Amino acid sequence: MSAAAKERLVSLAVFAALAGLWQIMSRVYVVEAQPGEPMIPGWQILFTRTFLSLADYWGGGFGVPTVADGAARTYLAATLSLLSHLAFTLARLCVALALGGGAGFALGLAVSWSRFTRALVEWPVHFLRALPLLAMVPLFQLWFGATFLGQSLFAAYGIGVIVFAATVNAVRNVPQIYIDNARLFGASRFALYRDVILPAILPAMRSAALLCLAAGWSAVLGAEYLGAQTGLGYVIVYAQQFAYLDRMFLVALVLIVCTSASFRLAQTLFARWLVWAPPSMRA
Amino acid sequence: MTLRGLGFDPLRPLGALLFLGLWQAASASMAPIMLPSPWSVVKRASADFWSAPSLAYYGVEDPSLFGNLVYTSENVAIAVLVGASLGALVGLAASRVWLVRALVNPIMLTAGTAPIIIAAPFLLIWFGVGRASAVSLVAFYVATILYLFAERAARNLDPIYEHSALTLGAGPRRLIRDILIPATVPELLGGFRIALAGAWGLEAVSELLGAQSGIGKVLEVLAGATDAQGILASLILLGVVALAADACAAALIARFAAWSAAGAQRL
Repeated sequence: MSAAAKERLVSLAVFAALAGLWQIMSRVYVVEAQPGEPMIPGWQILFTRTFLSLADYWGGGFGVPTVADGAARTYLAATLSLLSHLAFTLARLCVALALGGGAGFALGLAVSWSRFTRALVEWPVHFLRALPLLAMVPLFQLWFGATFLGQSLFAAYGIGVIVFAATVNAVRNVPQIYIDNARLFGASRFALYRDVILPAILPAMRSAALLCLAAGWSAVLGAEYLGAQTGLGYVIVYAQQFAYLDRMFLVALVLIVCTSASFRLAQTLFARWLVWAPPSMRA
Repeated sequence: MTLRGLGFDPLRPLGALLFLGLWQAASASMAPIMLPSPWSVVKRASADFWSAPSLAYYGVEDPSLFGNLVYTSENVAIAVLVGASLGALVGLAASRVWLVRALVNPIMLTAGTAPIIIAAPFLLIWFGVGRASAVSLVAFYVATILYLFAERAARNLDPIYEHSALTLGAGPRRLIRDILIPATVPELLGGFRIALAGAWGLEAVSELLGAQSGIGKVLEVLAGATDAQGILASLILLGVVALAADACAAALIARFAAWSAAGAQRL
């Protein structure tokens, strides 16, 4: 068995053991957060009663009636509820990644055009990076209200600042000899950017992209925790107000699976784009 | 020698002035309730620094920005110290003890990708509103980052150092004290600085979700009163504190990792 396969087996075993430990603890530690709501809900509760109760958050549509209208909780409504809130969270994340990533990257490239603009933005960007992102949720709520746009723009801002700083830094670190060589062959400024600088900064942008993904998830969740009407973060905080620990736990598990999958996807994509780079540049 | 030769670029302060000018222009064209001018924010920050009676009215325990900044900083300091020492120790252990790595690595790798903020509502239920939930959230975040840095640093360490020490008769204790810890300190301090930077926002959001004191609580009540000026003043003060803490960490790195390339580079 290869070392990687062995490692995968071990980590699977660890997670299985954790799941088992949780089940044992749910039997041993039977304290309830409130009557009928165990502090540690066992799996038999999570996948039946808890999952069904997610139907409460279904907003209606597709001919599936909502619990608020007096319908019984069904597995169909619960599934739709989970998927729709997940879709809202993912939509916020994707809009934020597109807007923040695009704007940060474009501005970063524009600023790197000359040494003067680079020096001009240095202090303001340092200042903006020093402001703790997650503490800025109230400011964005004030500006844009508790709206989908406001939450997306908040996450986009957090992502944009990271991408901008990383782009400027990456362009500065492109070896001068690449640029001089291209100039020597008569490359225009545009061709220089397209054929030399863009590929050269790609390895450096890999770690920035992973940082952005982490910041994006945190920002979207932070915005949903503090005043949204949709999204998995909203479901968690809304459940918290009634101490429904089981619902919070189930939704958090779904979120962790999604974030892990998104990181796996980003790493695979970058691995494909960076096949040409020597291993030392891919770290 | 020119000014630039001395490491001073006049374009940088010019950029800062330009930024302030843009802010001023934007605030002039918008209602002050949306975007107050930079000068009014500075005045507000200094006026509320030692005493802000309006905060007492909203139910903040310590009605001054200073008192709440201290509360937030204390929490971050405790969390960062506890989290960093735990994370670094477990990370170093995981790099050398197979059983520790097998047990801890899958959990830490998952925690490293999951947004730690997920845990905030759980901690509020388990530990209640107060210091404990905020500190444990930030400590877990810091521990995760330090674990990943420590484990990687120790794994990348050239085995020749340890082999050489073993040949000279070093026992496990001396191996850890004289080889493993000094060799990984530069990387650990680098990770420490990254964790510290993220800790402030996490602490603030934990206070926003439920606390009686702290800058996050101040932000919460000011947001309820749609007081953009107060929000910006508190945010900027928190940013200044974060910058100061980062400068301290950078000085620490310069002092304790001066001999390494990483220490010189990260200054």
